[in-house]
Amino acid sequence: MARTEVARSEMSQAIENTAPVAATRPGGALARSLIGGLVTSLPVLVVGLLILNFAPTYHTFLALGAFVNLIVVVGLQVFMGNSNIANLGHSAFVGLGAYGVAILSTPLAMKKLSIPNAPFGFATLELDPVSSALLALLAVGILALISGKVISRLSGVAATIVSLALLIIVHSVFLNWTDLFKGNQAFFGIPKVVGLPWMMVMSVVVIVLARLFKDSRWGMQLRASAQSPQAAAALGIDARRLRLMSWVLSALICGLAGVLYAYFAGTISPKLFYFQMIFMTLAMLILGGMATVTGAVTGVIVLSVGLEFIRSIESGVTIAGIQLPQLLGLSGVALGVVIVLCMAFRPSGISGRYELDELLSRFFRHAK
Amino acid sequence: MLKVENLGVRYGAVAAVRDLSLSVGQGELVALLGPNGAGKSSTINALTGLVAPSAGRIVLDGQDISRVRTEDRIRAGLTSTPEGRRIFANLTVGENLRLGAATRRDPKGVRQDMERFLALFPVLSERYAQAAGTLSGGEQQMLAIARSLMSRPKLLLLDEPSLGLAPKIVVRIFDFIGQLKAEGLTLLVVEQNARQALRFADRVYVMSSGVLRFDGPPSGLADEHGLLNLYIGG
Repeated sequence: MARTEVARSEMSQAIENTAPVAATRPGGALARSLIGGLVTSLPVLVVGLLILNFAPTYHTFLALGAFVNLIVVVGLQVFMGNSNIANLGHSAFVGLGAYGVAILSTPLAMKKLSIPNAPFGFATLELDPVSSALLALLAVGILALISGKVISRLSGVAATIVSLALLIIVHSVFLNWTDLFKGNQAFFGIPKVVGLPWMMVMSVVVIVLARLFKDSRWGMQLRASAQSPQAAAALGIDARRLRLMSWVLSALICGLAGVLYAYFAGTISPKLFYFQMIFMTLAMLILGGMATVTGAVTGVIVLSVGLEFIRSIESGVTIAGIQLPQLLGLSGVALGVVIVLCMAFRPSGISGRYELDELLSRFFRHAK
Repeated sequence: MLKVENLGVRYGAVAAVRDLSLSVGQGELVALLGPNGAGKSSTINALTGLVAPSAGRIVLDGQDISRVRTEDRIRAGLTSTPEGRRIFANLTVGENLRLGAATRRDPKGVRQDMERFLALFPVLSERYAQAAGTLSGGEQQMLAIARSLMSRPKLLLLDEPSLGLAPKIVVRIFDFIGQLKAEGLTLLVVEQNARQALRFADRVYVMSSGVLRFDGPPSGLADEHGLLNLYIGG
């Protein structure tokens, strides 16, 4: 095309200005986002290693729960952070992942006690933990694909309401299909095969995955269409397909969190995967900042530590000789207060727009 | 290159565009003028596939694209720059440019085009890693056009490039549009600002209330001074 000729002549004038052009080099972007993901997961690794080596058993148990929350929140960020649509249904996928491995991997002797009448031959089936996990994730993926078909066609509030409906449907099934899910009672006897090391590895994998998606062409196109649907459509960006993609990836990460939870706790019940978890993980993501994976990590660390502290004073403690009264329910109140304050004063959360590695490189550039 | 026959666009009971026929030839810069609410943007949106036409045919290079998806129209060489710039304010200048190539599958060519546009627009090059929202209005319009060019269009539809910009900046934007034409790009420019749009236009269409009122050379429009005043207000 003739346009090229004129452009070339102008190019020679501006040829010195090549510094930013280097950023367009291939491979560079992928490596940067991979390293960025690893940098973001560094604090998680440090905290994990400290707990692994120094903490008493009780704290290790708490830390495992926090790691599960971390994976859920990172999964939540994959959809919410990129599509800018609030999701109130993600713990349905956590629950399905957990119940999936519970049904598939629990030893037969245990199943005789808990779900002797399970349909589809599940009562007499016992798979190894890895195949169980893969099949559970497959189930999560299928549910995500079906619900995602609906949600990706909607936007804003409508999509959020559908996600909430999904949560309620899945929860009702857990509660009422007692032959398969054991209803309101705890489902016990799941093999406890996951400890802190596995949890740390999976956390790092998930953090890197979320970052790679965010920086990928799909992630970027999805973020663009969330910002300006008209412009994105005019550029030929298919927002529906991208929303579906991020919804499924987000669900699989949440499902993985459920699998890991079941494998470390050994016992699950439906109420674990209901509003309590939704609000807790949502508060973590909002506090940390949903635009970035770093925000997800930050929110989990800050709120996990904060809530544990609040729980310790909830039951009434004695500080400097003064006996504080019991403040049951304080942690619930604190969770609500965190969401309200954050929305009012810092809607972009603690970490704002930048990932940890981006902040560090900005900091060092300014320090020079 | 582009032939539109008896195009109609309806929003429910409201007819935004009625029985509109126009054509754009290879290398031409055609201006589509008209007041607010004349149906100009609806025409553009029907051409790019963002709204489905209620009647008529859109033919690009001899192929009927009336039912083709936006994505594939862009691949066929028809790209638009939306009204009001609509850059992605929170994304960097570089990311905005890369998003313009969303439909392309040749990373190497995309990279070459990136470097070309960054060289062409030193401002964009300087602000490569900055949020696009920090650019001035004129710079944002330049970015919006450059972003559209990243899809390597044969025919570019510009929807009100002068919207909300200071007169001096508008002159500069149209200088650049004239330059694109000189480089061989075919353009259809939708405008309210007739004076600027007519500077480089080969032919002019004027529409109001969804209907075409004038079709001819810019000089013809100047002769019919009353018409110009009536529909565009100078």
